[in-house]
Amino acid sequence: MKENILIIGGGIAGLEAAAMLLRLGHSPIIIEKSDRLGGHVASWHKLFPDMTPAKDVVDRLTAEASGANIFLNTEISFVNKLTDSYNIMLSNGISIITKVILVTMGFSLFDAAKKEEYGYGVYDHVVTNRDLEQWFNGKDDPRIDNSAMNAVGFVHCVGSRDEKAKNSQCSKVCCITAVKQAIEVKQKFPDASVYCFYMDLRMFGKKFEDFYISAQRDYGIRFIRGRVSEVSENIEGRVVVKAEDTLSGKPLKVTLDLLVLMAGMVCGDSCTKVAGMIPLPVDSDGFLKSKDNIFDVMESPKEGIFYAGACTGPKTVPETLAEARAAALDIHLYINGLE
Amino acid sequence: MRERFLTGYNDFVLPFSLGLIFIISYCVVGMIRILHQLPAEDRKRFFISLVTPATMWKNIKDIFLKCLIHVDIWKRNKLLGYMHSSIAFGWFMLIVVGHIEVFLYTPHRVKLFYYPIFFRYFVAETESTMRGSLIFFLMDLFLLIVLSGIALAIIKRVRSVMFGMRRTTNPSFFDLVGQYSLWAIFPLRLLAEAFTADISGGSFLTKSLNYVFTSFLSNHANMLPAWWAYSCALGIFFFVLPFTRYMHIPTEILLIPMRNAGIKIRNARKGFAKAEVYSCPSCGLCIDACPMGVMKANIKDTTVYLNRQIRRRNEARIEEISDKCLLCGKCTAICPVGVEGDKLRIAQRSIRKYNLNPDYSNIPADASGIEFAAHEVTAPSGRAREKILYFAGCMTALTPVISKAMESILKKAGADYAFMDRDGGICCGRPMFMSGRFDAARMLVEKNTEIIKASGADVLLLSCPICYKIFREKYHLDGIRIIHHTEYIAGLIADGILKPSSDDTKYVYHDPCELGRGCGVYEAPREVIKSVGTLVEAQKNRKESICCGGSLGSLTLGFDKRRAMTENALANLVTESPDIIVTACPLCRSTFNRYSDRPVEDIAETIDRKITKTVKS
Amino acid sequence: MDFGFKISPSSAINLDKIDLTMFEKLHEMEPDVYKCIACGSCSATCPAARYSGMSMRKVILDLQRGREKEVFSMMKNCMLCGKCTMVCPRGINTRHLILSISKLYCETK
Repeated sequence: MKENILIIGGGIAGLEAAAMLLRLGHSPIIIEKSDRLGGHVASWHKLFPDMTPAKDVVDRLTAEASGANIFLNTEISFVNKLTDSYNIMLSNGISIITKVILVTMGFSLFDAAKKEEYGYGVYDHVVTNRDLEQWFNGKDDPRIDNSAMNAVGFVHCVGSRDEKAKNSQCSKVCCITAVKQAIEVKQKFPDASVYCFYMDLRMFGKKFEDFYISAQRDYGIRFIRGRVSEVSENIEGRVVVKAEDTLSGKPLKVTLDLLVLMAGMVCGDSCTKVAGMIPLPVDSDGFLKSKDNIFDVMESPKEGIFYAGACTGPKTVPETLAEARAAALDIHLYINGLE
Repeated sequence: MRERFLTGYNDFVLPFSLGLIFIISYCVVGMIRILHQLPAEDRKRFFISLVTPATMWKNIKDIFLKCLIHVDIWKRNKLLGYMHSSIAFGWFMLIVVGHIEVFLYTPHRVKLFYYPIFFRYFVAETESTMRGSLIFFLMDLFLLIVLSGIALAIIKRVRSVMFGMRRTTNPSFFDLVGQYSLWAIFPLRLLAEAFTADISGGSFLTKSLNYVFTSFLSNHANMLPAWWAYSCALGIFFFVLPFTRYMHIPTEILLIPMRNAGIKIRNARKGFAKAEVYSCPSCGLCIDACPMGVMKANIKDTTVYLNRQIRRRNEARIEEISDKCLLCGKCTAICPVGVEGDKLRIAQRSIRKYNLNPDYSNIPADASGIEFAAHEVTAPSGRAREKILYFAGCMTALTPVISKAMESILKKAGADYAFMDRDGGICCGRPMFMSGRFDAARMLVEKNTEIIKASGADVLLLSCPICYKIFREKYHLDGIRIIHHTEYIAGLIADGILKPSSDDTKYVYHDPCELGRGCGVYEAPREVIKSVGTLVEAQKNRKESICCGGSLGSLTLGFDKRRAMTENALANLVTESPDIIVTACPLCRSTFNRYSDRPVEDIAETIDRKITKTVKS
Repeated sequence: MDFGFKISPSSAINLDKIDLTMFEKLHEMEPDVYKCIACGSCSATCPAARYSGMSMRKVILDLQRGREKEVFSMMKNCMLCGKCTMVCPRGINTRHLILSISKLYCETK
């Protein structure tokens, strides 16, 4: 008899894990709350550091996982724990009895409106990294002027490394995302001054530093070490940003046509909700807690429940895919052990 | 009625008499000291108020209503009110009627002050008259009332929840001695009078008890020990009184006329502050009221403990308690004797010594950037065209959504306004004042005063209640009207200049500490909200509203220590399940917004959203 | 690159020679002082910054580097408005820190 494997979340982690499990001879079920697969990556334009189109990545993953049983627009209504398995009731009326669950519910973008001083939702020219990415994808945004742009600013660490935003963790990918988006803005508006306001630049991944060097050398993006603490609007409706240039030790003020807030990652809303149903423990950083943070990152403390991707913490796309494959292998071995 | 003893004296009156002499001299000396500690002008004002008929009458009324009837406690909880007034008023009446007895039956003994207290020991009933039995009846009745109060007090020690109090004060050693002696006084009096009732006469209580006792006790042998015990209980109570919370009884009689004379705290420990500290009855109502109380660790930092530590001169604890407080003023608002917990704490902060002191002489008082009529002005006919100077304040700079909404409203109203601190301004001085550094605060007040006066404004419009409070209390702006935006918006709507649309959204209004308790603005924001939707009330509202926990008042409370307070305040707001939480303070807004499960907005945002068409006339 | 100072004997910071007993005392009163990540939020929002160059970030750093004189002149214009405390991402109670510094340090020394 084939074991049911339930993958909660049809983002890149869920798709990659499903593809891997299919190749290992299993038949996974994916449930996805939205009407399309690919999660956050599907709404992205290009991926660092090679400017790979996000669409290509999602298309490839979707094709590879097409053999799985996929339910779109489906959420979990409730979870019943049976003796050695779980009975999962879905919002479309189907119930699934399974011994193996893979949680790939990912992250939510921090709600930038909660950082009131930045005026997201208040000022006419303040957007988030996601808004900008969707604009790159061709979606019109009244806050972003398509024709001309003299000055654009990026604020790093919006809702991450910030106790006031209830998230003291680093969201890890925003630094490099800001570098990428700054380059893209500069490509569209070569004459614009582009500023990145950062606290620390964390260029940890493969080729990230090269990307950063290129942003400085090839695109002339100006990196200012100072966290923005006040944003106002002048009479013309342009955004005025106040920060301290901590390297020169002087207060700094600059007027911009567009301010991009690099909203950080927090544990997904639906992830927290489902974690409460099973229930799964939540770590001090707000993300799901692994059995062990070195050896068993992909295993929950509960028998038969596995994790992959950003539900255990901020991750890049390649990291997520690697985790998904590792989790698939873990599941394969786990099922073999059951028989 | 005849006297049993020619001397009119027995040794048992000694404990009482000595105690009474001690406590009266203690109180007289204490009163003279407190009055002496007042600044000369305050002292003069106090004596004048004592002979001014209006204040004289107010003093008598207040002392009667507050010290004897305890009206404030009645309003809070009927049972608690009854407990207090039965003991205070009952005891008072026992003394009054006791004196009447002496006047009527043994007028030559009037000068013996112990006589009314132990009257029944010294007399024997010769004939039963209507008048006599009425007086005896009254004496027994008031004794019964006091006894019922004592019984309630004992129950309260065990089950305070019955009296609407979740938590009560931990009594100190002397408090306990005082309390037990106070509880013992009246049962012992009953016993003594009951043993004596077949000689002295009595009424329903004493006489009946006397019958019971005679049935199994040879009662005259018990008479004297009972009177001794009664006198000793009184004596002990009087001797420990200065060291217990019961010191509030005599002190409050001094505090009320001082307050009515308009005297304020001028010194952290002396004069009026001392009177307030000693007036604290240690009832502990402030413990439940304190927003910090949600965390058990903070319970000993409430006003009642501040007063106790000030009396004990425990400087380390005084500093800790005063610096932690949010200065929300709720303890002051609910205190039945009117101890000002917030002002007392600011006074304690003001005596700190700092080596580094601010100096703002280098800051220019520059009003040149303030320009009126930068926008289209359409002052409606029949309304004076006023120059409105909008001062958003430091906290609003961090919640720009409020200033943006205010500007939009000002434009929609066609007002002639200038945004004083669009590009940053000078702090109003209230946070400096709250930290007890009055001189520095005064310098800031002077700087802003100079700028505002030079701007030529007619109205100063404020968004931040923290600013509003100090502008109202400490600024002298020569005729420039100072107004908070809740009042300004309420005025615009009342005059028909703004016509917001209404729907069935449910709003709850949070009274910010500095706007509500601080400035008494409760109605204007409610009127405004009613014009756009349904207003529901928080469980505790108006003067009992719970501080959001973000207050600048606290010097030492760290960010992580405030979360529980904010969550508690939010839980209080959402009992009627409102759709939107509305407040009128930038600090409350950002504090609530961090933890709230539903939208939090400033009243300016709400109104700006609901005005689609501008009215021009 | 300009580091904002010249490497010369007079202006170089010599950590071996700095007396940090005062700062240790301050640290005892305000354990959070070591939590600063020098992001500069406090300085950017400070209303006194444009008058006396007040910067809480610099105050914390200068005290650790034994440059107390600069600190005193910066702090002169602090209005205790509390904005720095509001914006600090590490949740440091900078407002109380200022009061503690004012209490502890002495200008004449």
